Amino acid sequence: MEIFITLFITGVGLGALYFLVASGLSLIYGLMGVLNFAHGAFLTAGAYAAWYFTTEVRADGSLTSYAISLVLSGLVGAIFAVATEQLLIKHLYDRHIDQALVTVGLGLVAVSAYLGWFGSDPLIALPPTQLYDVVQIGDAFVGIDRFLYITVAGLVLLANFLMLRYTRIGLVIRAGVENRAMVTALGIDVRKAFTFVFFIGGFAAGLGGALATTYASGVGPTLGDAFLIYAFITVVIGGMGSIPGTAIAAVIVGTTQVLVNYYVQGLGDFVVVLLLAVVLLTRPQGLLGKVAH
Amino acid sequence: MTNALTLTDVNVTIKGSHILQGVNFEIEAGVVTGLLGRNGVGKSTTLRSIVGLVPRVGSINLFGEEISGLRTHEVIRAGVAFVPEDREIFASLTVAENLKLAERDKNPDYDTVHQLFPELLQRKNQRAGTLSGGQQQMVAVARALLNKTRLLLVDEPTKGLAPKLVTEVAAALEIAAQATTILLVEQNLPLVKRVAKNIIVMDQGVVVHNGTPAELADADFAKRMLGVSGGSH
Amino acid sequence: MILLPSKYRFVPLIFMLIAGFGAFTPLIDEPGLQQTFAVAFLFGGLALTYDLLLGFTGLLSFGHALFYAAGAYGAAFAMARWDWGIIPAGIFALFFAFLVALFTGTAALRVKGIAFAMVTLAFAEAGHVIVTLNLWGLSEGDKTLQLNFDSVPDFFLGVANTRNLYLLALITLAIIYLAVWWLTQSSVGRVWQALRENEERVSVLGLRPFSFKLIAFVLAGVMAAFVGVVAVVVTNNANPVMASTQTTISLLLMVILGGIATRWGAVIGGLIYVVLSQRLTTLDTQGALAGLPEWIGGPMSEPAFILGVIFILVVMFSPGGIAGALYRLRLKIASFK
Repeated sequence: MEIFITLFITGVGLGALYFLVASGLSLIYGLMGVLNFAHGAFLTAGAYAAWYFTTEVRADGSLTSYAISLVLSGLVGAIFAVATEQLLIKHLYDRHIDQALVTVGLGLVAVSAYLGWFGSDPLIALPPTQLYDVVQIGDAFVGIDRFLYITVAGLVLLANFLMLRYTRIGLVIRAGVENRAMVTALGIDVRKAFTFVFFIGGFAAGLGGALATTYASGVGPTLGDAFLIYAFITVVIGGMGSIPGTAIAAVIVGTTQVLVNYYVQGLGDFVVVLLLAVVLLTRPQGLLGKVAH
Repeated sequence: MTNALTLTDVNVTIKGSHILQGVNFEIEAGVVTGLLGRNGVGKSTTLRSIVGLVPRVGSINLFGEEISGLRTHEVIRAGVAFVPEDREIFASLTVAENLKLAERDKNPDYDTVHQLFPELLQRKNQRAGTLSGGQQQMVAVARALLNKTRLLLVDEPTKGLAPKLVTEVAAALEIAAQATTILLVEQNLPLVKRVAKNIIVMDQGVVVHNGTPAELADADFAKRMLGVSGGSH
Repeated sequence: MILLPSKYRFVPLIFMLIAGFGAFTPLIDEPGLQQTFAVAFLFGGLALTYDLLLGFTGLLSFGHALFYAAGAYGAAFAMARWDWGIIPAGIFALFFAFLVALFTGTAALRVKGIAFAMVTLAFAEAGHVIVTLNLWGLSEGDKTLQLNFDSVPDFFLGVANTRNLYLLALITLAIIYLAVWWLTQSSVGRVWQALRENEERVSVLGLRPFSFKLIAFVLAGVMAAFVGVVAVVVTNNANPVMASTQTTISLLLMVILGGIATRWGAVIGGLIYVVLSQRLTTLDTQGALAGLPEWIGGPMSEPAFILGVIFILVVMFSPGGIAGALYRLRLKIASFK
C-alpha cells in the first residue's frame, strides 16, 4: 500500500507535466486545427533556459532563483511559440496539413540546433535541495518535487479555467473551438486568439520544460520530444480542445504509466498506447471532446 | 434608387465543384429582397461568399465600397450581419454568452432583442445547445439585431419551425427591415410575399430572374422557377 | 496530380537500369559508395510506399516506421532465433507485418485527419517501446539484432560483395516502383485518389471509404516490411532506429521534398535525403564551416538542421517539392515557345 501511494502520487506528478504540454496542444488544435509537432521544442527551449539560469546566472541553489527560472522558462517557451505562429503558421492559413508539416520541420531544426549548441549529452541541472525532501503520507514517502509539479499544473489549470470562463478572449476561444467560421461571421478577428493560444500554450510548455528538467535531473536535445508523444496521447484521450478532459486524461496516463512500469518494466508505456486504442474504439472524440463537425 | 449591394460575376469553387458560376445582381437599399431557388442552386453559397466564408472571385460592392477582398470579420465590421442556415449558435455557450460574443457596438441594442424575444432573457443562463430549434433561431436572429447594420443576410430563418414561430420570426424581420436592408433566402413563399419588395431567383449557380413577389402568385412561374406548385404553401 | 506526362513514365525505370549498369563501371566502384547508394535506394522505395498513403490516398500516417521495423525485426528474429533461411524468414516477416497493419489500421482508421496521424504515431511508439525495452525478449533492446549470416547466400556477404547488395537494393526499389505504379493505375488506385480529393463523393457512389483506406494502409505496410527485410540483408542488422518516429518523419521529409503523389518524386526525395545527410556530415570535418561563428556553425554541422530548413522552405514556398518546381518550370518554358 505504501508503494502504491508513492507510485500514485509520482504518477499524478508525471501527469501534471503531461498536462502542461497537452493543455497548449489541445487548445491550439481545438481552435486552429493545427497539430503542433514543435510543441516539444518549446518545452526543451524552456528547459534549457531554466538550466542556463540556475547554473550560469544565479547558481545559488535558492528557491527564489528556481522560482524565477520557472517564470523565465515559461516566457522563453511563449516567445518561441508566438514567433512560430507569426513567422510560419500564420502564412499557411487553412492549410492544416502544411501547418502540421512545418511544425514537424521546425521540431527537427530545433532539436538539431540544441544538439549543435549544447551537445547530445544531458546537461545536469541541480534544483534547490529542498526539492529533494520527502514527505510522509501514512507509511509512504513521497518526493516533495511531485507536489510542486502538481501545484504548478493545478495553477495553470485554474488560470486556464478563469481565462476561458471570465474573459472576452476566453469566450472567443470557447466559441472558436466549436465553430471558428461563425466566430469570424460575428465580426471577430479570430487570428488574435490564435496568437494568444500559442502564447499560453508555449508558456505552459516552457514551464513544463523547467519542471521536466527537475524530474529528469537534466536536459537533453530530445527532452521535449519524449514528453510530446505522451502529451499527444493525453490530448486524444481527453478530447481535443477540452481543457478539463486533458486534465483528467493527463492523470490517467501518468498514473497508469508509472504504476504499470513499476510492476512490469517498460510495459507501462505500452499499456498507455493500448489505452488510447481502447478509448478511440469506444469513444472516438475522446473523454470530454465534442463530435467534430 | 441606391444599391446596397452589387455582385458582379461572382464565382465560387469548392473542392473542384464550380458552385457559383458568375452571379450578378443588385439589391435595393432599405428594402427586403428575397433570394429564391431550388435546393442546391447556390443560394446559401451566395450569402457565404458575400461575407467571405467561402473563397470567392469577382466583385462584391457594399454601398459603393468593394468588399470582395476583405476577410470575414472585416466584412461584418463594414456593417453586415449574417444569420446562417441551421443557426450555427454555439451549443456549449449560454444564451447570454452567445449574445455577448456578438456585441460590436458600444451600446448593443438589447432592448429590441428582449422586446422581440422575451424568452431569451428568461433563459439567458441556459446552454444554447439545450434550447429548442425555434429558440435557437431566436438566438441567431438576436445576434444579428444587437448591432447597427447596413445589410442583413438571413438564410432560411423559418426552416423546420412551427407555424407560430414562423410568425414571430417574420415579425422580427419586419422590425429589422425598418432600419436596414435585408437579403433573405427563404423557401416559405407566403413569408417572402409578405415581407419582400423584390425577388431574385437562382438556378444552377447563376441568377435567372429578377422581379417582384407578385409574380409568385403565378403558379406556372413558381413551378418553373422554384419547382414548387402554386403560390400557397 | 501525375505531373510526369505518360510518355515519360518509363524514364525512372530507364534511370534504374542505368544505375544497375553503373555498378559495373569505375563510376560507382567503391564499396562505401555502393553501400551509401544501396541504403539510398531502399529509402527511395520506402518513401514510395509512404507516398502511397500520403500522396495517393491522402492518409497522413506517423506510424509507417512500425511496418518497416516489423519486416526487419520479423525476418531478423526468424533467422537469428529459429535459424530459418532468408526466404521463409522474409515470408514470415511479411505475414507478421500484414497482421500488424491489419490490426492497427482497423483501429486507427476509425478516426480521420490529424487524429489518425496521432493514433498511428502512438501505435508506432508502442512498437518502438517493445523493441528498445526488449519486451518479451523479442529484440536485443538498445543493441542491434544481428543478421544470422548462415541464413543468407554467401554472395550477399562481405565487403567484396557490396555490389550485389547494391543491385539487390536497386531491384527492390524497381519492384516497389512497379507495384506502386500498377496499384495507383488500377481501379482501386482511382478510388484512393478520389478519397483524397473528396471522401463524401466516394461514399455517395456506395463504396465504403474505410475498406479502401484499409487496403491502402495494409498494402503500404506490407511493402514497407518488404523493404525492411531487404534492409536487414543490406545493413546486416535490425535496429531500434528503424522503429522510431524519427524514421517516419524522415520519410515524410523525403516525400514532401521530392514531390507528393508523383511516384518518382518520392524516390528522388529518398535518394537526395540519404545522400545529402551522409555528405552534409562531412561538411564539418572538411572544415567548410570553420569560418562560421559557433552559434550558427554548431547547428549547421547537423545534417537534420539543414534538411529541416530546406523542408520548411519547400512546404511554405514550393508546394509539390522538386517535382512541383520542375512542373512549373516546364509550364514556364512551354509558355515562352
